[in-house]
Amino acid sequence: MRRILSLLAAIAATLITPRPGWSHGVQLEYQLVNQVQIQARYDSGTPMAQAQVLVYAPGAASSPWSRGTTDAQGRFSFSPDANQPGYWQVMVRQAGHGQSVTVPVGKVTAAPGAKPPTAGLGQRWLPIAAVIWGFVGTALFFSRRSQPRHADSRGPDSRGKP
Amino acid sequence: MTAHRGLFLTLLTLASPALLLGCGGDRSNSNPNAAAGTLVIRANGEDFVRQGFTSKDGWAISFDHVYVSLADLVAAQTEPPFQAETQDRWQATTEVTVAGPTVVDLASGDTSAEPVVVAEVEAPAGQFNALAWAMPPAASGPSQGTVLWLQGTASKAGATLPFTLRLSEPLAFTCGDFIGDQRKGILAPGGVADLEATFHFDHLFGDGGVPPEEEINTGALGFAPLAALAQDGVLNLTSADLESRLSAADHQRWLGLLPSLGHVGEGHCREVQLTQ
Repeated sequence: MRRILSLLAAIAATLITPRPGWSHGVQLEYQLVNQVQIQARYDSGTPMAQAQVLVYAPGAASSPWSRGTTDAQGRFSFSPDANQPGYWQVMVRQAGHGQSVTVPVGKVTAAPGAKPPTAGLGQRWLPIAAVIWGFVGTALFFSRRSQPRHADSRGPDSRGKP
Repeated sequence: MTAHRGLFLTLLTLASPALLLGCGGDRSNSNPNAAAGTLVIRANGEDFVRQGFTSKDGWAISFDHVYVSLADLVAAQTEPPFQAETQDRWQATTEVTVAGPTVVDLASGDTSAEPVVVAEVEAPAGQFNALAWAMPPAASGPSQGTVLWLQGTASKAGATLPFTLRLSEPLAFTCGDFIGDQRKGILAPGGVADLEATFHFDHLFGDGGVPPEEEINTGALGFAPLAALAQDGVLNLTSADLESRLSAADHQRWLGLLPSLGHVGEGHCREVQLTQ
């Protein structure tokens, strides 16, 4: 058993020890992150490719926390700041039409005094308007706790640009 | 008795401002701790109305008047943010109601005019991220009896066709956050913020500026089916005329398009009157 442990320790030391001679060495690391993935498509099923995406953090509606573009499949991902719990809003726009989706992050509760509308609004949804020009935005929030990191579809440098 | 009368008059005097405010046209049901600002509610027919456009079937359309009947305008701060496409009802922390029906002309002003102001109301500061309005037949004014009055000229291949469409189908829309180049409805204490009821008339007639296979065109009726109903070089139709003279398929398509008129910028609304 000792021999086996010694052998494993030797192998580990070999792998971990830096190799100065490897000038093109590569380091790979990974982190588990909270990530929101948006899938935007027209109701015809066509992905909203290369659509503008704006992400707004809770309580900061005036300027986007992040902005980017959907990929060829209409997807966009970002990692919300776990220190900013609340309703995050994602807007997707293309060709004069847009839609938003609200993503609850962390513990969120109904605001004090929240009440239903007064004017008989929104009895039921008729999909006709959205069938022709609308699109479906879905958000998947993976709630595993881990180190926050910004990694959207355009890379970390897209975060926080005005 | 005299003492009671004096007490009554004193109370009435003290209460008068509150009574007067309560009788005003605007009603705010809001967070009492929030400071106030001015909320400007506008109606916008976009450049399609102000500058004219070409329908999917090649008719160049310009508008002299686009009268829209509006009522029951309600702006709200909702939490969570209301999403018209997926939610039936909003949860509001603050609502501001602009009472009293009105009619606005979306074609007023020149080709670069600002969207028409419908109302200016004092409102609690915060983010107004929901808007609802109804479109009943106008009780008075130039478009009396109609919900939507479209008047202008359509031209194609040297032919010019004056048209007036007088629509009477009541509509009502409930909408979430404005979506556009700039955010709207963010009202700072002492500040001014806009909200906008937007109308997309390209949904009815299509847009000759984009390819025919685009959904905006495959879904739209176009103008040609209407132009075919002209008599003596003039097109003058009511909703009843459209029902009786359009083909059944075209009329159904037309009715199906009306609920898609209402937007908040680029954001879609839920139509809750005609579609019921």
